[in-house]
Amino acid sequence: MLSRNPLVLIGLLMIIGYVLVSLVSPSIIPRDPMKQDVSNRLKPPSADFSFGTDELGRDIFSRVLVGSRITIPAGVVVVVIGSALGTLVGAVAGYVGGVWDEIIMRVTELFMAFPTIILAMAVTAALGPDIRNAILALVVVWWPSYARLIRGLVLDVKSKEFVEGARSVGAPDFYILFRTVLPNCLSPVVVLATLDIGNAILTFAGLSFLGLGPDPSSPEWGRMVSIGIDFFDQWWMWLYPGMAIALLVMAFNFIGDGVRDILDPRLRK
Amino acid sequence: MPFYLYFLRRLLFVIPTLIGITAAAFFIANAIPSDPINTNLPQSALNNPEMIAAFRERWGLDKPPVERYFTYLSNLVQGDLGTSIKTHKPVADDIRRFLPATAELATYGTLFGIAIGVGFGIISAVWRNSFPDYLVRILSLIGVSFPVFLLALLALQVFYVNLGITAGPGRLGVKLDDPPAVTGWFTVDALLAGQFSVLGDALSHIILPSIILGLYSSGIIARITRSSLLEVLGADYIRTARAKGLSERLVVGRHALRNALIPVVTVIGLSYGNLLSGAVLTESIFAWPGIGRYMFRASTSQDFPAIMGVSILIAAIYVGVNFIVDILYYFLDPRIRLA
Amino acid sequence: MRGSFLRKLPALLLALVLALLISTTAFAQDEKVLVIGHAESTDSLDPARGYTQTTGIVLKATYQTLVTFPAADASSIEPELAESWTVSEDGLTYTFMLSADAAFADGHPVTADDVVFSINRLKAIKGNPAFLADGIASVSAVDASTVAITLTAASPSFLSLLPNSAFSVVDSEAVKANGGTDGEDDAAEAYLNGTSAGSGAYILESWEPQVETVLVRNAAYKGAAPHFDRIIIQNIPEPATQKTALEAGDIGLALDLTSDQISALKGNADIAIASGPANIIHFLLMNRDESIGGPVSNPQVAQAIRYALDYEGYKALWGGVAPGTNLAVGLAGAFGEDKAIQRDLDKAKALLAEAGYPDGFEITLDYPDFSFQGVNMNTNAQKIQADLAEVGIVVTLNPGDLGTALDGYRNGTQGFAYWFWGPDKLDPEDFLAFLPGGKVASDRTKWLAEGADQSLLDLIAQAKGELDPAKRIDLYGQLQVIAQESGAFAPFNQPDIQTAFAATLKGYVWHPQWLLDLALLSE
Repeated sequence: MLSRNPLVLIGLLMIIGYVLVSLVSPSIIPRDPMKQDVSNRLKPPSADFSFGTDELGRDIFSRVLVGSRITIPAGVVVVVIGSALGTLVGAVAGYVGGVWDEIIMRVTELFMAFPTIILAMAVTAALGPDIRNAILALVVVWWPSYARLIRGLVLDVKSKEFVEGARSVGAPDFYILFRTVLPNCLSPVVVLATLDIGNAILTFAGLSFLGLGPDPSSPEWGRMVSIGIDFFDQWWMWLYPGMAIALLVMAFNFIGDGVRDILDPRLRK
Repeated sequence: MPFYLYFLRRLLFVIPTLIGITAAAFFIANAIPSDPINTNLPQSALNNPEMIAAFRERWGLDKPPVERYFTYLSNLVQGDLGTSIKTHKPVADDIRRFLPATAELATYGTLFGIAIGVGFGIISAVWRNSFPDYLVRILSLIGVSFPVFLLALLALQVFYVNLGITAGPGRLGVKLDDPPAVTGWFTVDALLAGQFSVLGDALSHIILPSIILGLYSSGIIARITRSSLLEVLGADYIRTARAKGLSERLVVGRHALRNALIPVVTVIGLSYGNLLSGAVLTESIFAWPGIGRYMFRASTSQDFPAIMGVSILIAAIYVGVNFIVDILYYFLDPRIRLA
Repeated sequence: MRGSFLRKLPALLLALVLALLISTTAFAQDEKVLVIGHAESTDSLDPARGYTQTTGIVLKATYQTLVTFPAADASSIEPELAESWTVSEDGLTYTFMLSADAAFADGHPVTADDVVFSINRLKAIKGNPAFLADGIASVSAVDASTVAITLTAASPSFLSLLPNSAFSVVDSEAVKANGGTDGEDDAAEAYLNGTSAGSGAYILESWEPQVETVLVRNAAYKGAAPHFDRIIIQNIPEPATQKTALEAGDIGLALDLTSDQISALKGNADIAIASGPANIIHFLLMNRDESIGGPVSNPQVAQAIRYALDYEGYKALWGGVAPGTNLAVGLAGAFGEDKAIQRDLDKAKALLAEAGYPDGFEITLDYPDFSFQGVNMNTNAQKIQADLAEVGIVVTLNPGDLGTALDGYRNGTQGFAYWFWGPDKLDPEDFLAFLPGGKVASDRTKWLAEGADQSLLDLIAQAKGELDPAKRIDLYGQLQVIAQESGAFAPFNQPDIQTAFAATLKGYVWHPQWLLDLALLSE
């Protein structure tokens, strides 16, 4: 896979880079990302300030680095909670079947009927804008597609011989579902969830851009872009945080492309 | 299964989904913790219990939620979505006013997405695993990785500010009057009225946002076109056609493409529904007076009748599109007919 | 089928190109149009209800008042609808003789009945600007062209109130015909939001909230005819977009540019710039009701916050001055920078400790997500957050939609908030709004007259009634000292006004009352 598609390797390296930066950023940033200095405001990129300074004289380079500690975890949390919740719901629906399956899947479809950002906007409108609510809103939007996926996989695995075997020796349903069925469904979910982080980050940044996420002074990338628009001429205010999002999402998409090639049976000849 | 039975069965699924959507929208909107009275009554009225009671009665706030939900539902059936707290107009009127702008944008966006997506998909499939394929795939991967707001800013900076070849934000130059409303689509209305200067101006305004909106669907359209075309190109009848000595251009253009496009059509239908709603960010940067911007303003001002109205509308559109796709599948997929 | 489409494609493309060509050449420009880019704050265009800066600009253009100010300042009272007036000896009754010239847009003359109806309507509706008429006991028509206004108490600043847009004289017949009354059941707001019923130089053609306000020339206007046939106030909330639109020539006047943008435009020969001192004060509001304000309801905490703000920093951002109090610098007796509070973090920390918050506290700051005349409130809010962090106060920012936040502010439900204020009255008396019994203090901050120091209340009453200018200024000085020590507000900046416009535009004058008189603009 790596040798056939160099993009996968590039994407992987980029993600490792991002994760490393987010881990060590507090000790490598040249300046305090929250420190204001109005005498040094709106300075273009220079040797002193690699990415320039913002409207309150804060160092954009430091802010972009530290911003990775907000956006990446937010994307991961959304996908982890969303996929866990979806897995649970989907597994129960698929395993129990019958009326319960029908009811659960109707509810799932209901949530899928609302477009991501519209539902997330409605949820943040109800709860008030802050970072936790933005993540919560995205989880509400995120779980249904996993529920649908897992349900299909569970239905498939349920009819396999080893499940029948477990059932015939009298193993309890709970045991069968969690020890026999689910472990055999999880690998595609884990792969998909990993690639989905890019999407989650993009949507989170969108919410945050609309002002439905963190505080305006937060170094979150989407927020920085939305503040930067007020200072359109000072392109460095919006371009660098925007590129930070774009490159990260690109890394996930590069890997996703390679994985999709492998998963798509029509192309595997 | 005969068609009428299949049709009725799918329809039966649609109705509870629609009811569920209204319930979900209603209860999310009503989870708003703050009292709408504080944000929606003037100071002089806050000290007046009669006016507070009148406000509560008018919005049904004095009744239990379940009862309010059924009131809402019965009004909804009559086409009454309530009155927007923010614009003081019926939500249904607001939607009628803002939806055409979004539909126009989404349609142009989809057309652009199809042009780019199908074109790139064909290039990718025909020159599979060679330089053009890689170039197209990398370009589309990069394209869909950019946050829409960043692309919009870059496009405005380059094409409007630096080059000055397109118009800036908005739907029409401020000095022009809207064309006489027939469809609510400025480009179509201007054409119908023969106002070519308005048409030109409207086109110059719609081009940037629609391209940016279309880029996102072009990525998935290109991918599906590629894989579906590759599958078809491997099929027996194509090999036969090639064996007959038909030119590659004829093989791809006449035989393969037509069959490969069936799954692409499905994707286009679904992505059109997504564009209708995904326009929120694009509309906010391009000051496009559409449904996305309306929804955004409603959500920042806790205008719950508007939030509910738009959510329900868009979810209903999505369900409708899905229903149509399901029906189309009956004809496309023989397995359903035999089941 | 695909083939036939392809054959038609060249023709379609040609049509498109033609359409584009025509669009760039065929602007029929026989009428003179001005497009203004502005971050609209209009709440209503009904003179008895609307009370924001944009409302003031539009009402100034579409209505007239009994008396007015000179074009550029508020140094004297000049006739407008009234050609002359007399004051009774006790100072309680003002009699205005209407000019025979003034006429509404349909040509019929402005009569005493219209004036009486307008003022009674303002009082009855109890809208946001109604407080301006609080001192009026009654108004009556002596004859068709004479109006008498009786006050509840003699007021030296009464005439300077009348140029306020709230006293716009409406066409009583037209308003009544559209549901208007001078009682509580008035229903003419929708009508007045759609068209104006006044005698000003312009007529409101349409107002589409958050989109545009369109004014057309009033053919029946009796004053000097304005230059532009049509003025469009386009809502462009983002200063950056206003600047781009101005540079591209899409708008002729940008009202809300930031000081950075103004300096970037200075080399551009096509663009002219007007800047100078203005009278808008940006301030923090700290609710005295503990259940709403929490820690900031404590006067010592309010005092600490005043010492914690970095006044020089806000000046570096927006220019202007650091005002001494909420009495705008430029009005008689106002405390300027020499008497303003200086930042003193040690003092702030000591005051916090004394108030029982040695380690500070957490609080939410409400403010509108808005740029007003180029001052980006988000930027200031972030600076406030950083300033207060230095004394241990952890501020969470809560930017809101302007309309929603404005309602919360006017209803007094905000505990700790950031707002701006332009004087209602161009007189020191304006300051009373920020003292117990005044509009902002009592209604929005719950700093009430009940429970306030009797000596303070006496001082306020004294200042209100004092007629001798020197003594008045001394009394307002005493009140300002009290506000600096124990007030519920922390004013931190009075920015300069910054306006940029096409170099061909003439006649731009900033006015302290109505900001901009559209009728004076020409090219």
